Amino acid sequence: MNTLKIDENSFELAEDIIKDLKASKDLGILKCIQCGMCTSVCPAARHTDYDPREIVKRVLDKDETLILDDILWNCFYCYTCHSVCPVNNSVCEITQILRQKAIDNGKGKPKVAPFSAYGESFLEFGLGSIPSNFFDDLIKDFGKEWLELKINIEDIREDLNLGSMFLPKKDVDDINKILEKTGFKNRLNKLRRCRDEENTR
Amino acid sequence: MKKIPDKEILLFKSCLVNVEYPGVESSTKYLFDKLGIEYIVSERQSCCTGLGHYADLFDQFSTTALAARNFGIAKEEGHKNIATLCATCYAILKKSCNILNDKDDIREQINKILDGSGCHELNYDADDMDSRENIFHSVEILYNKADEIKDLVKVDLSGLRVASHHACHYCKVHHKDTIGNARDPMVIETLAKACGVETVDWYDRKTTTCGNGFRQRYMNKDLSFSVTAEKLNSLKENDVDILLHMCPNCQMQFDRNQESIGKSVGTEFGIVCLNISQFVALALGADPYKVVGVQTHTVPVDKVLGKIKQTNLCQ
Repeated sequence: MNTLKIDENSFELAEDIIKDLKASKDLGILKCIQCGMCTSVCPAARHTDYDPREIVKRVLDKDETLILDDILWNCFYCYTCHSVCPVNNSVCEITQILRQKAIDNGKGKPKVAPFSAYGESFLEFGLGSIPSNFFDDLIKDFGKEWLELKINIEDIREDLNLGSMFLPKKDVDDINKILEKTGFKNRLNKLRRCRDEENTR
Repeated sequence: MKKIPDKEILLFKSCLVNVEYPGVESSTKYLFDKLGIEYIVSERQSCCTGLGHYADLFDQFSTTALAARNFGIAKEEGHKNIATLCATCYAILKKSCNILNDKDDIREQINKILDGSGCHELNYDADDMDSRENIFHSVEILYNKADEIKDLVKVDLSGLRVASHHACHYCKVHHKDTIGNARDPMVIETLAKACGVETVDWYDRKTTTCGNGFRQRYMNKDLSFSVTAEKLNSLKENDVDILLHMCPNCQMQFDRNQESIGKSVGTEFGIVCLNISQFVALALGADPYKVVGVQTHTVPVDKVLGKIKQTNLCQ
């Protein structure tokens, strides 16, 4: 009897994504019926060529060029696709995982390198912040008052009777040890090098 | 509906609330105190990594390890019901909690890292926390007290037209845990109505993202602004005076960028942006500058302050 032979590794990329730590339990990539609900609600699809349905199709087709495709970087991470999918798939999560693969591959590094200052500030204070390299641009849109806010924030917090936002030194030290051991510091160093190379170019 | 606690709460600080809209934290504390909600704030709590995580800078493993540390602090301080001020903290913590409960190997690796980092006492055992029973948005805690809020209202804010922006990372990421319909949650409207204010229950683009998109606002500004402009235009068509928020990142997108977007599309929007906790605090008579923190806002909050003045003159 003639049987149709399917490449036994044809879902390799999909299965790789399903196994990723970022993937939700029972992520339904393999159940996708290409209904297009995701695309119908996607803000990036409305304004760019990013098409969540197409992303899943390419994953199911084991199209690894997707990892290097700039189109991935248009997703807003708003999870609207994820919230409407009838088979518990999440293109938002798939795109996050693919971007991580692009970073590992090297091509995605310049996309993320401009956010390195977030990591630097996290290691220094244990707190998140808008990366300072964007401040000049932001002031143009936000107005000079925003810069004044940055300068006066401690006084304003005091007026509002809020305590210090800074962590005790021992806790910041512990956070640094944790982030050393999780591999984050190493990852950040590579991204910083990439940022510095881009800046000198 | 999920059971919402009113005690043993760790109010989880947020990076953008800290430095952009600190009035969100002070308003929430003011309301928690008025409503008899028992809570603490911990100086040891780190940020959730959210802005970095969704800019693809932080990896899931590191984010989860830091969440485990924060969960350990919540347990150690006897306040393991977490209430976040930001929708992204809410999404990040719930996800990390699920990973720690479901993936034994990851939990063990993280515990080993905590041990080796002087944090043995913060180790995480499976099911130490439950993402549905222990992790909340602070607005959910307030929503649970909407009836009590009704009896405490002092300032007549009626006549102002308000609409909501529920924040994608509250209603869409863990959509099965969202109060009400995840596609049209009415949590914010319920609280505004408790303050006697008319709300625009539905408007075109109500559930659309604020447009910040993490990297998009910084690397792809035109795309980011075109999404924000769609929503601002719809709000303008609905004559909205105030857009109510539950996420500081969304609030920044609409408040800080509004004038710039207005110039590019030739419209003066004049839409005041307030977190729902700030709005309820004002309705309950909180001081605009010493509690609500309106001095850090970009779009002037005058429309609301005028109403407060009227109320004071009548009394």
